[in-house]
Amino acid sequence: MGSINTVENEIKELIAQILEVGSEKITPDAKFVEDLGMDSMMALEIVAAIEKKYKITIPEENLMKLASLGDVIAVTEQFLGKK
Amino acid sequence: MEFDIKEIQKILPQTYPFLLIDRIIEFEPKKRIVSLKNVSFNEYFFAGHFPGMPVMPGVLIIEAMAQTAIIFFAKSYQAEMQKEMLYYLGKVEAKFLNPVFPGDQLKIEVKPLKILAMMGIVEASASVGDKLVAKAELAFAAKAKERESK
Repeated sequence: MGSINTVENEIKELIAQILEVGSEKITPDAKFVEDLGMDSMMALEIVAAIEKKYKITIPEENLMKLASLGDVIAVTEQFLGKK
Repeated sequence: MEFDIKEIQKILPQTYPFLLIDRIIEFEPKKRIVSLKNVSFNEYFFAGHFPGMPVMPGVLIIEAMAQTAIIFFAKSYQAEMQKEMLYYLGKVEAKFLNPVFPGDQLKIEVKPLKILAMMGIVEASASVGDKLVAKAELAFAAKAKERESK
């Protein structure tokens, strides 16, 4: 429960659903925009979905940092830690 | 806080026959907004949807939600830009629960889920009396109108 791996897998599934790609394509380093076709509205959806799931608030200035799965996990954990 | 149709027209780019809210009856900046849409048999769409069986098209309920969301966004966050903005609907997830008929008064409530400087996601519900007729999540973006070069 609540381990790093669980969070990683949950976030991966959630991103795969929003970007409409198979979760196997969401590798830690795959670039959302260049490799997976993310646009700004999808970025907003990802942040909104994570906020809802983990009951956290991710401020707008963090959005630009979310370029890959690794980035999303790092930011999510940062704000989970602050809860 | 309430806004009448004149105030609504200052913000919404839509006009007849596509202005689908009549009044804002409640508004708490950044928290929630409630609009009214009076549905009359004289609505142009009832002529074709459907002859002899007038039902308000669900997509127009979504449009009324989107217009309510524009007022919410503009009044909460865009105090000085308003008419200079263009709005784009990006994604809608909706459920239609009951039909809307001539004589009904639609009450639409919009609340923010996540709002950024120029885009957002809101949740909306539409009801007639005590009956919920539709609910939806809408993602939208706003953009400043480009000045005409002439």
